[in-house]
Amino acid sequence: MPRDGGPAIEVNALTKRFGDFVAVDHISFTIDRGEVFGFLGPNGAGKSTTIRMLSGLLLPSEGSATVDGLDVGTETATLRTRIGYMPQLFSLYPDLTTRENLEFYGGLYGVGDDAIVRRIEELTQTIGLQSVLDQLTGTLSTGWRQRAALACAIVHEPPIVFLDEPTSGVDQQARQQFWDLIADLAAGGTTVLVTTHLMEEAERCTRLGMISRGSLIALDTPRALLETLEGLVFVVDVDEPLAGVRALSERSFVRDVGLSGTRIRVRVAEDLSDVRARLGQALATAGIAVREIRPTRPSLEDVFVALVGDAGGEDQ
Amino acid sequence: MSRPDTLRRTLAVARAEWIHNWRDPRSLAIIIALPIMLLLLYGYAINFELRELTFAVQDWDRSEQSADLIDTLARSDYFTFHSLVETGEQIERLIEGGEVRFAIVIMPGFGEQIAAGKTGRVQVLLDGADSTTAGIAQGYLEGVMRAHSARLMKRWAKSRGIPASAAQPPIQPEPRVLYNPELKTASFIVPGLIAVIMTMLAALLTSGCIVREREAGSFEGLASSPIAPVEIIIGKLLPYAGIAVFDVMLCIATGGLIFHIWPSGDRAALLVVSLVYLIASLSIGLTISSVARSHQVATLIAFLTTMLPTMLLTGFVFPVRSMPKLLQYISQMIPATHFLVVIRAIYLKGTGVGPYIREVTALALISLVFVVVAAKAFRKSLE
Repeated sequence: MPRDGGPAIEVNALTKRFGDFVAVDHISFTIDRGEVFGFLGPNGAGKSTTIRMLSGLLLPSEGSATVDGLDVGTETATLRTRIGYMPQLFSLYPDLTTRENLEFYGGLYGVGDDAIVRRIEELTQTIGLQSVLDQLTGTLSTGWRQRAALACAIVHEPPIVFLDEPTSGVDQQARQQFWDLIADLAAGGTTVLVTTHLMEEAERCTRLGMISRGSLIALDTPRALLETLEGLVFVVDVDEPLAGVRALSERSFVRDVGLSGTRIRVRVAEDLSDVRARLGQALATAGIAVREIRPTRPSLEDVFVALVGDAGGEDQ
Repeated sequence: MSRPDTLRRTLAVARAEWIHNWRDPRSLAIIIALPIMLLLLYGYAINFELRELTFAVQDWDRSEQSADLIDTLARSDYFTFHSLVETGEQIERLIEGGEVRFAIVIMPGFGEQIAAGKTGRVQVLLDGADSTTAGIAQGYLEGVMRAHSARLMKRWAKSRGIPASAAQPPIQPEPRVLYNPELKTASFIVPGLIAVIMTMLAALLTSGCIVREREAGSFEGLASSPIAPVEIIIGKLLPYAGIAVFDVMLCIATGGLIFHIWPSGDRAALLVVSLVYLIASLSIGLTISSVARSHQVATLIAFLTTMLPTMLLTGFVFPVRSMPKLLQYISQMIPATHFLVVIRAIYLKGTGVGPYIREVTALALISLVFVVVAAKAFRKSLE
């Protein structure tokens, strides 16, 4: 059954409208087998809608897509056996144990009785579920829940896996462990399409699609995307970050400015000399006390912000 | 889609649903406590009436023996003496006005007959319009009179020095039911009540099981899997079919222990027919659950769509043949109509299902239709 010949996923001008609202607007891309393809964008950008179309949960309004060589509009039944889908919302039964959930999903995908025992054994090893196997999933921490959900999504050994915001609400350490699992999956030949709005995670993808308001605004490796960014990026620590953002956004030499946590990230044109002094002066004029201004390595978030700015977008 | 996969998927859903019910105290309460509670509630209503059983007496005899009988009845826990009356018209007025539940008429020569060791005649007039109360009243009345009669018989036999068994029973009540000559009694009400309770309960049980998944998020996992709607519906039905039959047994036991009314016919056949019937109700619940926006809404709709039509349109309270033609047609489409015929026959006539093959076939067809409707509704809800 494997269709190793073609790409894992091929998307062509895929569009989804809900009434007048265009959730996904003519996006096209191709994902090769064994890739960890990241979908990056804020909530509501159209990531989940795209994944839902690719899983056969939503019919496209326009355009076409194949997953594992199967058309998402017409070959849905077969398609569903070839993918694993981990929805954004926790979808396991909270009143069933991890093992019972695995058995349930195994049953749904027609995994045989002997095969399921072997598979649970395998997943227990690779995902490290030993300690939570006989615990109700409703009592697990978010990190463990997501691991259990991943195990259920791949219980039938699908060649392609969709993970929709798999690490939302998960702490830093558990998040890293989860991404290690994703890397293992891909190393085993599985194609992974993962959505996230966390830029730090995006750097672990082989390629990234940046999506904003239903449109694909960039598509490349994380490194290549970083290289497209012009100018310098500074982190500014002030007492009143919101007022600081307001003050800096009025300056013409500032290309992008936004908050990252409680700090201000600001990008300025590359040829600017003595940037620190100019930033400090801008803030001082607005009466804002500055604690620190330092240059920083550009991140994918800066790339995204820059791209959205170029596309003529307002604040998102 | 191969056969064993279909079975695996269906059983996976059935097993998960079964576990949900076992681990949810609220589900268990509905499964175990609700049917008993509903039957008991009705029982309390009847018992409450029984404390209020007032009666009038028309005494043609005016003997020591007739006074003794009236005194015995008046002192019983069940009855309250209302008044002595002179005419039959007075009795009718009292019963019609609801002032008394029944009247006894002691015939001339009652005392002499008893004194002579023969049987004295007592007529009992019951208000059949309230059939439940009338039936219960009749039962108690016969009991009290029999006890009184036995006492008299013993005394009489002793005074003559002969064994009590050789004596004739001195009092023979002759019940006559006014306004409802067939006297639909508790034995008629209980099987009907079981049908109504189970119809409602079955729909209630399944009304949550899809909308709940939608609210929780597990629906997405189910929807993206290769399982077909009909596999989900049948998988969800399986555990509830077992639960519903268990609840029918619970109802039968409660009816028997509280009202002393047991099905006199083929009990195994009754359970099988109940199962066939309840699949329709369970499927209605699943249909509602597929389209409802929230669990609460589903519960409410399940309650309204099953309880009301079942009580009003199926012959539970009003006989079908006395309904307007249009309602009669509608009632034929409600599965409970056919089920009532069968369950009453098994309870009252002591039959099996043999003579009611037409009703059972109708039930099977209706159930099949509702399963298909549920699968269609579920498929629709995916879009």
